[in-house]
Amino acid sequence: MAAEFAVDETVGPSCIDVLTDALRVRVDLHHTERRVWFDTHDWRLFRAGLQLEHHVRKRESWLVLSDLEGQRISRQPTRRAAVTAQSLPDGVTRDRVLELIGVRALAPRVVASGPVQVLSVLGPAEKTVARIVVEGPTTVRNGAPVGLRARIESLRGYDKDAAKVCRTLDAIPGFGPAKEPLFESVLRAAGLHPRSFRSKPDLEFIPGIPATEAFAGTLTQLREIVLDNVEGTLRQRDTEFLHDLRVTVRRTRAVLKFAHGTIDEDIRARYAVELKWLGDQTSLSRDLDVYLLGFDDLVSHVNASGELEPLREQLTRHRKTAHAALNRALRSERFAALLDGWQHELAVPGPVERPVIEVADELLSRAWKRVGKRGEAITDASPAEAVHDLRKRCKELRYLLEFFGSLYGADARSEAVSELKLLQDILGAFQDAEAQRISIHQYAVELAKAGTRPATLMAMGRLEHHLQLRQDAARAEVTDRWHRFNRKHNQRLYARMVTSR
Amino acid sequence: MRIIASYSIKGGVGKTTAAANVAWLAAESGHRVLLWDLDPQGGATYLFRIRPKVKGGGEALVSGKRDLHDAVKASDFDDLDLLPSDFSYRNLDLLLDAQKKPTRRLGRLLDSMADEYDVVVLDCAPSVSLVSEGIVRAADLVLAPLVPAPLSVRTLDQLRSFIAEAKGPAPDLLAFLSMVDRRRRLHRDLSEQLPKEHQDVADTVIPMASVVEQMGVRRAPVVAWARMSPASVAYRSLWDEARLHAKV
Repeated sequence: MAAEFAVDETVGPSCIDVLTDALRVRVDLHHTERRVWFDTHDWRLFRAGLQLEHHVRKRESWLVLSDLEGQRISRQPTRRAAVTAQSLPDGVTRDRVLELIGVRALAPRVVASGPVQVLSVLGPAEKTVARIVVEGPTTVRNGAPVGLRARIESLRGYDKDAAKVCRTLDAIPGFGPAKEPLFESVLRAAGLHPRSFRSKPDLEFIPGIPATEAFAGTLTQLREIVLDNVEGTLRQRDTEFLHDLRVTVRRTRAVLKFAHGTIDEDIRARYAVELKWLGDQTSLSRDLDVYLLGFDDLVSHVNASGELEPLREQLTRHRKTAHAALNRALRSERFAALLDGWQHELAVPGPVERPVIEVADELLSRAWKRVGKRGEAITDASPAEAVHDLRKRCKELRYLLEFFGSLYGADARSEAVSELKLLQDILGAFQDAEAQRISIHQYAVELAKAGTRPATLMAMGRLEHHLQLRQDAARAEVTDRWHRFNRKHNQRLYARMVTSR
Repeated sequence: MRIIASYSIKGGVGKTTAAANVAWLAAESGHRVLLWDLDPQGGATYLFRIRPKVKGGGEALVSGKRDLHDAVKASDFDDLDLLPSDFSYRNLDLLLDAQKKPTRRLGRLLDSMADEYDVVVLDCAPSVSLVSEGIVRAADLVLAPLVPAPLSVRTLDQLRSFIAEAKGPAPDLLAFLSMVDRRRRLHRDLSEQLPKEHQDVADTVIPMASVVEQMGVRRAPVVAWARMSPASVAYRSLWDEARLHAKV
């Protein structure tokens, strides 16, 4: 592991001389380096314990993947231009990064620059047995500077020598072990806190607090998450911004619904309308994103990639138009007024003093019963609407378990969520296949009117048939999944959860 | 992980210098590289300033008593590690012979390094032996230096036969002319003829150059300290050809 020392300001200017006096070293490199740390908006690399740096020097640039302690995993030469997921060179870095980031885009998260000096610690036959990398003072863009650091890099097979260097540095006045790796210091200097990033509210309620306080806190967090995703959605940085924005709006609508009797009815009704409007603005763009993300996979099932290119082009055109309309909505006065009012009217606790636990118990009990009633009514002959209705009730129950989860025993709650998720997955598969099938049919009608060649329309027919089969398969499984969910074990699990508070 | 063996039946033809320079260039292009010096003379180990000693010797490595990972030493260069030579490698034939399926043993040992390295370069002792059979069996590419002499074609034929007769899937062969003195007509003629007449002979020729000899004094690959010299340019070109053949 790399060890880092913070170098006191008193030693600063003479740091290299001090090291040269204390150890047998050779100064190998002295340059100014700009370092750009890349990660996704939701810090997927950081959360996986990795940092991806782009080191740009005068004549060269490198892509370096390390762990959070600074221990290097790989280093590859790269272009000086900004790094994107698509431009990563083949190799370990690309493999590891792409696996972790999925559909998310890489973005520069923090930029720092400063002098870097590399000293080789020499052993017998002038062999390098360890390296000391002296970095800083580091200027952080939009942040405070970070002081001088000396990082010891141990070399494979020479660990004892690196340990000896650490002991030597530890004994030099003005050198002290750094409290955190340079990356963490740079993040802190830039005011970034990856560990506190949330794509959904982080809620911890005490049972006795007023429900109004709990709702106001939840709505405050939801508003912040919406705001956090607006810019990325407008610029279409990746499809997850819109996804997170849309899901957060849906969650907010659910919270407002749960707040019946807690939040003033006029306010609630007004924001229910506004949030529905916002949710509706996101629907078409998100549907088209989903189509295009899964297009290759979908097409592979009907073995007609070339023939379906006109469909891909049509979807891409529709997506462009839909995103433009969404952007207009997100830049509108109506959206600005919604956000403003949300802060002043929804994110402040009202006068009702009822404890949150009472409200949670009541809502959960009602939602559980509703799911039971809708589920019991489902038979193999039930219409698609009944399945959709069950899906909505399940979603409501899931949100309640998420919002009020902290009030109940974690084990029983997490098992209840897992069981519910199994049911939701099949209901979701049913509805997704139906929605896609209907859309494919509509797109085929449009393309036919535009004079598209028959081969494309026939391939779309096969696609529609494939989606019908997929929907039928999901439908056939709904009853079994419902029976699994409705078994006695889960009834007891729910009872255990509500009594575990 | 791709394995490139720098191998020749004959000694003193530029095998170790090719291995050292190719390994350095592979690391410079962003690959994680391991150079295994299998020659008991330890030329590559010396070039990288590493002590030619493996705890427990070749026997411990071949028998599996000592993990290959534990014997690896970092070179002075980023992403380039070395498995040092040991004088006990002079008995490597006997040590391998004591193992089950001796010609597969080296390949099996290297399989355990696949997560850590993208490229392994083997610097082999000049001989036709059980060790060389094992090396040929493990390698994806045999990089073979040839000195420009009338007998070169015969040496190349011998090498082809040796590779063809080795058990298992045959590696690709890329021979190249080494120690070429452009002042000599024979060297010039062979440098032009051989690549044209034989598909497995590289277009690149490595010149006879004093900078290559100085590697022993500088103790570092020439490509690291005389980047623009004709020898370095030739090694870069050789690496470009080798990486295509080895699918690196």
